[in-house]
Amino acid sequence: MAKTKHYRHRNGAMYLMLAPYLLLLFFFGLLPAIMGVLEVPKPSMTNANGGWDAFAIVVQDFRFMPAFKHVLGFMAIFVPLMIIFVIGMALMLDIKPSPWKKWLRMAYIVPASISGAVAVLVWYVILQPTLSPIKPILRFFGITEASQIWQTENLVYILVGMAFFAIAGNWILIQYGSLQSISSEILEAARVDGCSVFQLAIRIKLPLISKYIIYMSVLVFAGGLQIFVEPQLLNSGVYQGIANSWSFDQLSYNLAFTSGDFGGASALSILLLIPSLLGALLVIYRTDMFEGAQGHIKKKEIEVQAI
Amino acid sequence: MKRKYSVMAVATAAVVGGAMVAPMAAQAAIPSITIWVDAPRLPGAKLYAQIMKGKVNVKVELHGQADLLAKVQLFNRVKKGWPDVVFGPPNDVAVLKNPLINNALNLDKLLTPAEVKNFGNGNSWCKSSTGTYCVKNDLAQTVLWYDTKLFKEFGYTVPKTMEEFAAIGADIAKNRPGYSLGAVGDQGFYASFLWPSQCPLNQEKSATRVVINTASPKCTRVAKLLQPLVNSGVLDKRSYFDAGYIKDVGQAGKIVANIGPSWWGEFVLRPAGTFAIPAGRIATAPMPIWAGEKVNYSGEWGGGIYTVSPHSKYPRQALDFAIFMVSDKRNLVTVKNPDGSFGAPTFPAYTPGNALWKAKVSKDTYYASNPFPAMLAQSTKIFPGEKPVRYDSNGAWGAAFAPEILKNGDIQKAVDAYGAYVSNLAQQLGYEVTKS
Repeated sequence: MAKTKHYRHRNGAMYLMLAPYLLLLFFFGLLPAIMGVLEVPKPSMTNANGGWDAFAIVVQDFRFMPAFKHVLGFMAIFVPLMIIFVIGMALMLDIKPSPWKKWLRMAYIVPASISGAVAVLVWYVILQPTLSPIKPILRFFGITEASQIWQTENLVYILVGMAFFAIAGNWILIQYGSLQSISSEILEAARVDGCSVFQLAIRIKLPLISKYIIYMSVLVFAGGLQIFVEPQLLNSGVYQGIANSWSFDQLSYNLAFTSGDFGGASALSILLLIPSLLGALLVIYRTDMFEGAQGHIKKKEIEVQAI
Repeated sequence: MKRKYSVMAVATAAVVGGAMVAPMAAQAAIPSITIWVDAPRLPGAKLYAQIMKGKVNVKVELHGQADLLAKVQLFNRVKKGWPDVVFGPPNDVAVLKNPLINNALNLDKLLTPAEVKNFGNGNSWCKSSTGTYCVKNDLAQTVLWYDTKLFKEFGYTVPKTMEEFAAIGADIAKNRPGYSLGAVGDQGFYASFLWPSQCPLNQEKSATRVVINTASPKCTRVAKLLQPLVNSGVLDKRSYFDAGYIKDVGQAGKIVANIGPSWWGEFVLRPAGTFAIPAGRIATAPMPIWAGEKVNYSGEWGGGIYTVSPHSKYPRQALDFAIFMVSDKRNLVTVKNPDGSFGAPTFPAYTPGNALWKAKVSKDTYYASNPFPAMLAQSTKIFPGEKPVRYDSNGAWGAAFAPEILKNGDIQKAVDAYGAYVSNLAQQLGYEVTKS
């Protein structure tokens, strides 16, 4: 009896601590998703009779395939580049303690502070051959006119550049943090066993932070899939329309706010939810990301039993 | 604290008293309206709010031109928040009057006969078979802008036909490299060439049918005549507002002539931030005519509109604001703009207002000669076939035409890309697309 009461008490505290998260999850996660699903079959300008064929209509939209290609191309470069570069930098940052490190860490953060609207402006100036601070480099590649830059097919690379510099710095520091969590005993043992710096990084550190890498991959993937701000701002700049409905999120936005098709916009949003959700499930069930503490306890129990 | 309570008590008493003595309450009810304008219209709108103090409570909000279409759908959902009167791009009227959106009041009953007369044909864009759904702020009819200094230096005469225009282009390419007859990488190409040539692109024939036919001879002749000029760079592939074009061509004083809207002089050629052409050089001429035509039509680039919301409690007061903007000297001539200029940069669509603007522009020594007569002549010659449509016909210039012209510099291909893009949009929004 006393035991159940004790448990109930503990559960109460747990739910109390969870409450803010659950509230946010409900209002900004579940509720919008449910509203989105309910919105899909409503009649709109493009789906006059309403119904669930809103999904079919949105997939057949003439802007859907181009957006799919754009986003796919973007992700194919952005995600691997992010992972390799970030992990590489974090590992290098972790090699040796040095007084330079805190300045280096700050240097990584600086580009990350230039994001969204500001990043678009900065990149516009950098890539504009008449204004650019890197004119010689542009000229070396034969770029003397803005028309060579601002073409829809170049946007993939330009947007990768923007997104990469906007978030790479933060992730380098996060992964550097995850490297700090590796117990120094393990590293010491490896060194004693004759591990080179390179072997230490590849054989010891990488496997130990693999779950964080997968975690990052999923977040970078989901973030990339939902790219919106940069192309949308580019689209309303000098080259108006250059990135019109370039990404899925933009297409969804355009469906809702220029075609008044909330059903189609919701349908597309729900379609976008699926890969991100799969990614999240992958992290939860296929990695031990969220069982750290329990895992340790189990291992200890086993050790104790063994003794 | 005590004071606060007493104020509340008085207020409560006033509310209760007001309810009992109904006639007294009427004087307290000052109409209030919310207006949305973009940056160029802001000084005039703020001035209006000041002028109306005590008579109408005017709340002025600064919004991008595209804001209303995006937000109105949300206002419709929550059933509140609609601004009373909004300045917007001309094509919006087709979307706003659509029953699904329903945010453009039919102004037929609200406009006085005098106002209808003063707008005259200038407001035909806003009219459909069912009513008048907006009033025009300005006309953006295209005219030929030219640099008298360069014309004299190079020995050119003002082109009367498009062939003469193209001949000047050929001569520039051969003898004056680096000089320009304008840029084609934006919506300006539509207003300057395709629309005046009567190329059928957004010709709404009914609520369910639109004509889009880029293979029409009226379209192909544009590509045929101008392609050599694009090839030689005399017509620049970039946008007029590309930083490179502004610096290398505009500010370098290398635009010999270009076809541009009536606001081109005040808004682009003159300001220090854009082309900054020195005083005494710029003049206008009527549109060159296309071969075989009887009328030298203009197109329109912009030419904003005011729409009044059917949800407005004070529609007449809302309309009054629009009338002020197009008729009152304080907005058209004297209001000070942030860049130091005065008055509205655009050609008013309202006869009395237009007379005021004419007086201002005609005596302006910035121009080499009075730019007004050519504008006036073209104001009645905007080709009426192109119509407001329910899809974003303007945005599609950037989405489909400009990328194609930038990439390959092929006019016909770029026009075809535009045609394909808007055909798709049109069908999605319930239009049947036909070739004629």
